[in-house]
Amino acid sequence: MATGFLTDTTVCIGCKACEVACKQWNQIPADGYELTGDSYDNTKQLSGTTWRHVAFIENPKKQRKLTGDVDLLALAEDVHQTLPGGAELDGLGRWTFMSDVCKHCVEAACQQACPTGAIIRNEFDNVYIQPDVCNGCGYCVPACPYGVITQVPEDGRVFKCTLCYDRQRDGLEPACAKACPTNSIMFGDVEELKQVAAERVATLHAKGYENAYIYGTPEIGGTGGINGDHSKFILMDEPETYNLPAHPFLPQAKVKGGFVASAVAATVLGAVVALAFRD
Amino acid sequence: MADVTQETRQQQNGKIETSHHPETDSQRKDKYYYGIPPIKRAHWTWQIPIYFWIGGISAGVQLFTTLANVLGHKDEALTRIGRYTALVTMILSPILLIWDLGRPERFYNMMRIWKLRSPMSNQSWALVVYGNLAGLIAARQAAEDGLLGRGLLPRLVARLVPARFLSVLALPVALFVGSNTGTLLSATSVPIWARNWMLMGPTFLASGVSTALSYLSLVLHLGHWGEKKTHHVLRRAERATLLIEAGLIAASLVRMSRWSKPLFSREIAPLFVGGTLLGGIAAPLALLSGKETRGKSMFTSTLVLLGGLALRFAMVQAGRKSADDPEAYFTFARGENAPQPEDKI
Ligand code: SF4
Ligand code: SF4
Repeated sequence: MATGFLTDTTVCIGCKACEVACKQWNQIPADGYELTGDSYDNTKQLSGTTWRHVAFIENPKKQRKLTGDVDLLALAEDVHQTLPGGAELDGLGRWTFMSDVCKHCVEAACQQACPTGAIIRNEFDNVYIQPDVCNGCGYCVPACPYGVITQVPEDGRVFKCTLCYDRQRDGLEPACAKACPTNSIMFGDVEELKQVAAERVATLHAKGYENAYIYGTPEIGGTGGINGDHSKFILMDEPETYNLPAHPFLPQAKVKGGFVASAVAATVLGAVVALAFRD
Repeated sequence: MADVTQETRQQQNGKIETSHHPETDSQRKDKYYYGIPPIKRAHWTWQIPIYFWIGGISAGVQLFTTLANVLGHKDEALTRIGRYTALVTMILSPILLIWDLGRPERFYNMMRIWKLRSPMSNQSWALVVYGNLAGLIAARQAAEDGLLGRGLLPRLVARLVPARFLSVLALPVALFVGSNTGTLLSATSVPIWARNWMLMGPTFLASGVSTALSYLSLVLHLGHWGEKKTHHVLRRAERATLLIEAGLIAASLVRMSRWSKPLFSREIAPLFVGGTLLGGIAAPLALLSGKETRGKSMFTSTLVLLGGLALRFAMVQAGRKSADDPEAYFTFARGENAPQPEDKI
């Protein structure tokens, strides 16, 4: 059975419990204090020492008039309704949060790049780095189409989300999914999650959030030979807004082509040099 | 009165624009997610471009000396230099590569496995094969030159190691090493490299051959070695390969199109335009067409060698800039710009 994540960003509240749970469980070193000024995001990005990262995007305030009986509860729920006096409330509109993580690609660029075979697919079909094999060549780093896998300079090796391999082996769900208070992070069988995602997107569409869609399918986000991602997301804005590529590609798809082109070039160069020997 | 204040407050409430959204926040200059790069650049330091340069020279030297041998052109000095050079480059290359690892003591893990899909794996194995062949061939040369003493072993080596046959065997592996340095870069998510997947290998190989020919010419001149014909052939071949290299770089730039921008940035343009295009290709081509003198020839060779080195550094640094630029990656990973598995070109 392939396991994976479904991160439903529409119910994320930006609490960063996942970031903390991941650091705690996996005993990842701290990144220090940095104030970025980028909304509430001082983590910035995924790295070798950050395997979950919550993105914060503040949306512009909608034109709204608050008169009459305002149902404040509606603000907190996913309600999209017209209120008395023409007031509009949009429960999902004010903030965009996303808890980012390794995509656990079906065809993983990092795994194909790795010359030592340190990166494997484990029995849960997750992309896993064997820390005792990696020699820190760093080739997987620019290969990853999502900028996930990163070298830790102090250690020399690369690290990323293991999908809590150890917890899964003990029958537990990954630390981030366990800690998530709104169930924005769901963990489970990839096929089941696919269905959950489709139903949730249909519900959102029915409620008037027509821009909701699934990221990480072979149509969007898991494109170009990647064949989809085992960790998918439900998004409400352009992928780039969350720092995700819309149509990434598998870089190794062209290795054979590059080899053939080089062989042709080698032949031509050989012929040209050989011709220079003529009297 | 009170009503008016309430009215304005209500209106303002709707009008205050606070936003950190990339499309609606007029204050934000950084595009996309706060301008944070969506992909990570490679950590590779100076060892890697130098290795690319040395590997290219090794491939070109192997090509020239093997062809000379096969075509029956006799020049002992050339053969000797070719064989020793192959050995020295194959000693330096692994040192540079292992040096750059995050965990150098684990370099041998490269030999755990062979993955055709990983250019880095192919490169490691090619270096093992080529390095060993180069070692055997150089051992025979050393035995012939009397560098190994007069014992039984050197005599056996001189007699039994089929150096000519081995160099023919080593040639394709060497050429693979030379071109694969480019292919290795292209098999990543970095726009400027990935976009040019087809010509990265050929361009690096052409530059490898041109630098190798210059290297041979320079060393032969330095030692006052080499037949007259060798020098003549080197010069002719050099002119042709420099033209091919120029053509490949031009085609690469066309293919890279808007993603080639880092090569012309303030930091990299002096290296790429000044070092490679003008200093390493245009100037040598001009110098090669005039009358031939020893000093001029040595100067030309030096220019080509430095131009090749500049090309490696420029390409690696441009890759960093390209990976750090969200605009470059996102425009690349939108629509048909990125290489798709089914594309032919
Ligand atoms: S997202 Fe990157 S690190 Fe994760 S499996 Fe895919 S290629 Fe590997
Ligand atoms: S850094 Fe480690 S995991 Fe990444 S490609 Fe190299 S050996 Fe494999």
